[in-house]
Amino acid sequence: MIFDSYEAYRQAGFKPKACILGSGPAGTTIARKLGAAGIPVVVLEAGSREFSDESQDFYRGKTVGDFYFDLDITRLRFMGGSSNHWAGWCRVLDSQDFEPKAWAPDTGWPISRADIEPYLGEVHDILELPDFRPDVPVSDDIRWVQLIKSPAVRFGEKFADELDKSKNIAVVLNTYATELAGDGKRVTGAKLWSNGQDAGTFTADYFVTCTGGLENSRLLLWSNQRSNGGVVPNATALGRYWMEHPTFQGGNAILANYNEFEVDASKEAFFSPTLAAMQRLQIMNFGIRLIESPYPNVKRLIADLACTAPDMAEWMSSQLDQRLHCAAQLYVAWEQAPLASNQIELSKADVDRAGVPRIELHWKKSPLERRTLLEGLRLFGATMARKNLGRVRIDDWISNGDDYPTNEETAGHHHMGGTRMGSDVLKSVVDANCKVHGMDNLYVGGSSVFCTSGQCNPTTTITALACRLGEHLGKVIGV
Amino acid sequence: MSNFIRKMSRRAIVQALIALPALSLFRSQPAVADPDEVVEINGWILRRSDLA
Repeated sequence: MIFDSYEAYRQAGFKPKACILGSGPAGTTIARKLGAAGIPVVVLEAGSREFSDESQDFYRGKTVGDFYFDLDITRLRFMGGSSNHWAGWCRVLDSQDFEPKAWAPDTGWPISRADIEPYLGEVHDILELPDFRPDVPVSDDIRWVQLIKSPAVRFGEKFADELDKSKNIAVVLNTYATELAGDGKRVTGAKLWSNGQDAGTFTADYFVTCTGGLENSRLLLWSNQRSNGGVVPNATALGRYWMEHPTFQGGNAILANYNEFEVDASKEAFFSPTLAAMQRLQIMNFGIRLIESPYPNVKRLIADLACTAPDMAEWMSSQLDQRLHCAAQLYVAWEQAPLASNQIELSKADVDRAGVPRIELHWKKSPLERRTLLEGLRLFGATMARKNLGRVRIDDWISNGDDYPTNEETAGHHHMGGTRMGSDVLKSVVDANCKVHGMDNLYVGGSSVFCTSGQCNPTTTITALACRLGEHLGKVIGV
Repeated sequence: MSNFIRKMSRRAIVQALIALPALSLFRSQPAVADPDEVVEINGWILRRSDLA
């Protein structure tokens, strides 16, 4: 069932066991799992079926620190959430991403990759993915990895009919919780806002916040403040350890044979470090994306090489004569070291139309990440040279230690952390089952529970974690 | 000047000086650079043999 207002929903007399906040990949997946288990669930979606400036305005905020996107353009507030502008790139976090790394504090998850693998079959169905091929070692240091560009499932569009016909799932559009109330053990209710006005209070046995990697922290910070710590009793880490995937062009490569690696339809191929290389160099995970260079860039690159290695440049030039596809731009996206200082705070000066403080995001890239960028490119370049697969040139701003450019990709629009998973209540917000520490009926879904980010796009892992949480909740609620 | 030098004939000193370059034959030869070594020059990650 889909309702356009809370009033219409209320009149239907639906009695849910659980309330899910948000209808993005996490919220929709958990709702479908609960519905399939015969558990009545209501999904509150703040926006409508379509984008609107009015709804999007609730996402405005401020960033302090490094340059970042406007907070109202980096996510979407309508049915299906940010899947509506997702590019569809899929890969699950690697096993090594779940493990603690001695050289990077506060890494490691309380679960392993094996804990989400049983759900990958469902994830492939949901995201319409073929099977992933295993990684291919290029050297002891570098893996050629697969990142599948899926049809980019828009969760609102794909599942609208199914949700509408469901007897166990009610989706209420234009409606969301401005705050949760709690007594330090349980969430006792939610204050609702629907179609631009206060819609009273609402209760359910269980609440699951799936409002996104920025908004989950905002909702819980505000709720906790209003409830004097009654919603997140252990709030030291709440809003903290926020992460992105910084992304910049890091250099160029001239390739001996572009077809050496099977590129996708966009002529792109992806490479990551081995765990041994990360350990040896004490760097974070990263992904290098090869994008075919336009012809004028290739000529410029060869001219540049001629100053340093004339014979090599001459050979490259002959390669160019034989085939046009012989050079690539190298884009690097990397794993951010989780830092408590990268955090979401509530603005002290600015509130939205419902009176909820807007987000003030404190975000800064660390020296460890800068080293990851440089050493990662060196590692990739050394592999290409040793294997005679090509030659790499690192961009000057990286070699010279200049500031990050502000006119590039910057980051992946991947919002992770803030309500991270863990067993230490001082450094995490939810436990291994995504339940808020100390609370009996409050769970969190989505990438805000990520402990570390790995190097790959998060949606596949978000969906796997949502399948796992949905199954867990089905057992808890079904008892 | 030491007694040793004072006792040497001028001819002996000249002969010794002429023989000096031959001593280099007994020195170890400088290591030949590994052509496969990876080097970084002007941002390029190259093999040393690329620089030939």
